[in-house]
Amino acid sequence: MSEASSRSSINVRTLAMPAALLVIGLFFALKSPEFLSARNLSMLAIEVSITAVLALGMFLVILPGHIDLSAGSGVGLIGGLSAVLIFEYGWPAPVALLAGLVAAALIWLGMGTIIVRERVPAFIITLGGLLVFRGLHWLVIHNATIPVSRGGEANLYSLLTTYYLPPVAGWVLAAVIILLMAMAAWRRSRRPGADRERIFLQTFVVAQLIVLFVLVCNAYRGVPLPALILAAVTFTIFTITRQTPFGRYLYAIGGNEEAAVVSGVPVAKVSIGAFLIMGIIVAITGFLQTAYAGSSTTTVGTLMELDAVAACVIGGTSLKGGRGTVFGVLMGALIMAALLNGMTLLAVSPETKYVARGLVLGLAVWADVRLSRK
Amino acid sequence: MAPVLSAENLVKRFPGVVALKGVSFDLLPGEIHALCGENGAGKSTLIKTLSGIHPAGSYEGRIRVRGEVASFANSKDAERAGIGVIYQELALVPEMTVAENIFLGNEPRSFGWSIDWDRISRESQQLLDRFGLAIPTDAVVRDLGVGHRQLVEIAKALSKQTQVLILDEPTAALTEQEVEVLLDILRDLRQRGIALVYISHKLDEVFAIADRITVLRDGQSIVTLETAATTKNEVIRHMVGRPIENLFPRRPGKVGETRLVVENLTVTEGGHTRLEGISFEVRAGEVLGIGGLMGAGRSELLMHIFGAYGRRTGGRVLLDGRPLGPGQSPTESIRRGLVLVSEDRKRYGLVLDLSIGFNMALSSLEDVAVGPGSFGLIDDDRERRRNEEFFQSLRVKAPGLETPVGTLSGGNQQKVVLAKALMTRPAVIFLDEPTRGIDVGAKLEVYELMNRLTDAGQAVVLVSSELPELMGMSDRILMLAEGRSGGTFLRSEATQEKLLAAAMGGEPVTP
Repeated sequence: MSEASSRSSINVRTLAMPAALLVIGLFFALKSPEFLSARNLSMLAIEVSITAVLALGMFLVILPGHIDLSAGSGVGLIGGLSAVLIFEYGWPAPVALLAGLVAAALIWLGMGTIIVRERVPAFIITLGGLLVFRGLHWLVIHNATIPVSRGGEANLYSLLTTYYLPPVAGWVLAAVIILLMAMAAWRRSRRPGADRERIFLQTFVVAQLIVLFVLVCNAYRGVPLPALILAAVTFTIFTITRQTPFGRYLYAIGGNEEAAVVSGVPVAKVSIGAFLIMGIIVAITGFLQTAYAGSSTTTVGTLMELDAVAACVIGGTSLKGGRGTVFGVLMGALIMAALLNGMTLLAVSPETKYVARGLVLGLAVWADVRLSRK
Repeated sequence: MAPVLSAENLVKRFPGVVALKGVSFDLLPGEIHALCGENGAGKSTLIKTLSGIHPAGSYEGRIRVRGEVASFANSKDAERAGIGVIYQELALVPEMTVAENIFLGNEPRSFGWSIDWDRISRESQQLLDRFGLAIPTDAVVRDLGVGHRQLVEIAKALSKQTQVLILDEPTAALTEQEVEVLLDILRDLRQRGIALVYISHKLDEVFAIADRITVLRDGQSIVTLETAATTKNEVIRHMVGRPIENLFPRRPGKVGETRLVVENLTVTEGGHTRLEGISFEVRAGEVLGIGGLMGAGRSELLMHIFGAYGRRTGGRVLLDGRPLGPGQSPTESIRRGLVLVSEDRKRYGLVLDLSIGFNMALSSLEDVAVGPGSFGLIDDDRERRRNEEFFQSLRVKAPGLETPVGTLSGGNQQKVVLAKALMTRPAVIFLDEPTRGIDVGAKLEVYELMNRLTDAGQAVVLVSSELPELMGMSDRILMLAEGRSGGTFLRSEATQEKLLAAAMGGEPVTP
């Protein structure tokens, strides 16, 4: 294969997802002008952020060849736990959130340890987790509706999805991020053999998207907090997978576990580490999703694990492990969230929504398999 | 007589490598035609091209079946044209019966849909009877020995009206008796007019059975010889291509202090004692060879010391004077300065889908990262500089560091594994069959590398199943016999006879 053809085949695949997104966006925009309104796009930003944060955690678990089916139930349980601590026990919101975070970290550390050390398939352990956490969630909230704050007043928990950055702060932040990106791009482009045109183009497009995003958000109430949380999580996960030995080890374990062992990769520690990080991400998602719903109910988090897996797979992550990118996962999450948001806007019935999401997942993966075979 | 199958000037390219550079040969009905060549000469690629695994269009040149140009899109097409292949790795489903396996994917149907089980058992019985094979058709394949499985494979191939049968190293795992049975069956097939392509490293077998021999070297067909009119020496000369003066350029280094001590080591795995009472030492600047027959425990010994095999029930290991293990992880061994290059590089050596650079750096990422352990930040520039240094010094032939390692030839893959090991800056290096499956040129490079390592004061342990290599490259040789020490020999006193006697568990000879 010549270099030119290998590059162009990569282009087809990386452009396929933005193209699919564009088609989905256009379809909803034509069907309902409301889809492109600043208000709806701000809501969409919040919804994407929640889906994408969980998907990025799932990505870390799938890379070494595992899976986490308990994530959705975990989102409900941890969100509910912190809500109960605030609403029923009167804990200050920051303490309650920290307690939820620590609990999630410990639970996922435990699951990861069982899966990795005892060699029980992750599919089974987390399927068990799905049921156990769902039961515990309902038990904790005794099948009731538990608001995230007392007496409707704002606290750290409720602000997670209701706080918007003041417009000026949004612009300042955008400027800082673009400046940092430009500096990173400049460093990369000085390396021997760097494709300067490509680096410039990438940076330019992303910078434009950031400006557009702030512009749209400021037309409503400002940049929503979940978008900032997603940005932070994305930056962290990207750095982990691209720039640390830990991330490389995840790819190596997924690609060939036996070779990883003989190469001196601390396979058990790294795999358990991925579950630990997943626990923290489940907690963050739990707080966001529960805050977005306003209160913890029995349905919060339901089926979210499948959206997360779907986002990974649509984004080109291999379920066998060893293949996938953060960018792909983000695109996958965007596609899943845009689809759900658009259909809700069009008042599509829940039964049709399920069918449509399932079909999109199947079609996306089929297309990816076809494209990568060429 | 017109050839039933012929290859005309086949050229097959992979990224960065030309595997076939012009191979021609023809196969007559009712003949056994042997293909001989060193590892990497292009035999496997040739088979894959002839059998449709490399589809038409992916190679240059022509394949003709009974005179007609054939363009197979896949292996099913080749099967339909009457070409059957039996690969080194057997392709039977262990949980199914003999009869089920024979007709797998090819089941006779009644009414066009329902599998006709009566016919399957009747016809498989007939097939087995024809060759006088005493295997019950309802035996489950997992219960059969390797020899019988091989015969089931042949029966499977013959159930499909096969006229050309290609056998890739069919006797590699067979006992001598099983080989005799197999050769008799092949002669019987020849009688029935089936044309056979026989690939084997064992020249004794080739001369016992083949009518003609085609020699491949470096992806080219060199010559086709009548077996009756040639000699083994002539075949070897064509295989190697030049009279190699110094096949094993061992240059003994300055022997320094003792780096690795193994005392009275006993190891169990799965409830069985696999290694018993093994002792040896390796000093800086020295190559210790370890030999023995298949199953003697050579690889197991290395893997255990490295921390990837078995449970230690006795003895101890000292690395640079400090105890190593028992039960330490490979991670720990590498940190202490011991590294292993496995005999099975695809399974234990490489992440095949990922790049050369990724694989090279995998064992020593934390050396090019700034910050705490696994969560340090990798310095891309340092990593790339180091990768490029090893890429060049080991002369890896590939388009670049980004090339997926799975697309490289065996020799270049081995160089990537070696680079990965060397980047850990080890004190002791275990090389388990480091030249298996690589061509002569790459072999010499590996030997030169061993010289450079011992010159630099590193200690090398070389496991090899080839006695000439063992005798040629080791300063001392330890022979294992069924998990025990069969004796240690100095390079100067080792002869093939002495080593073999030690490997068979003969009287231990003390140096």
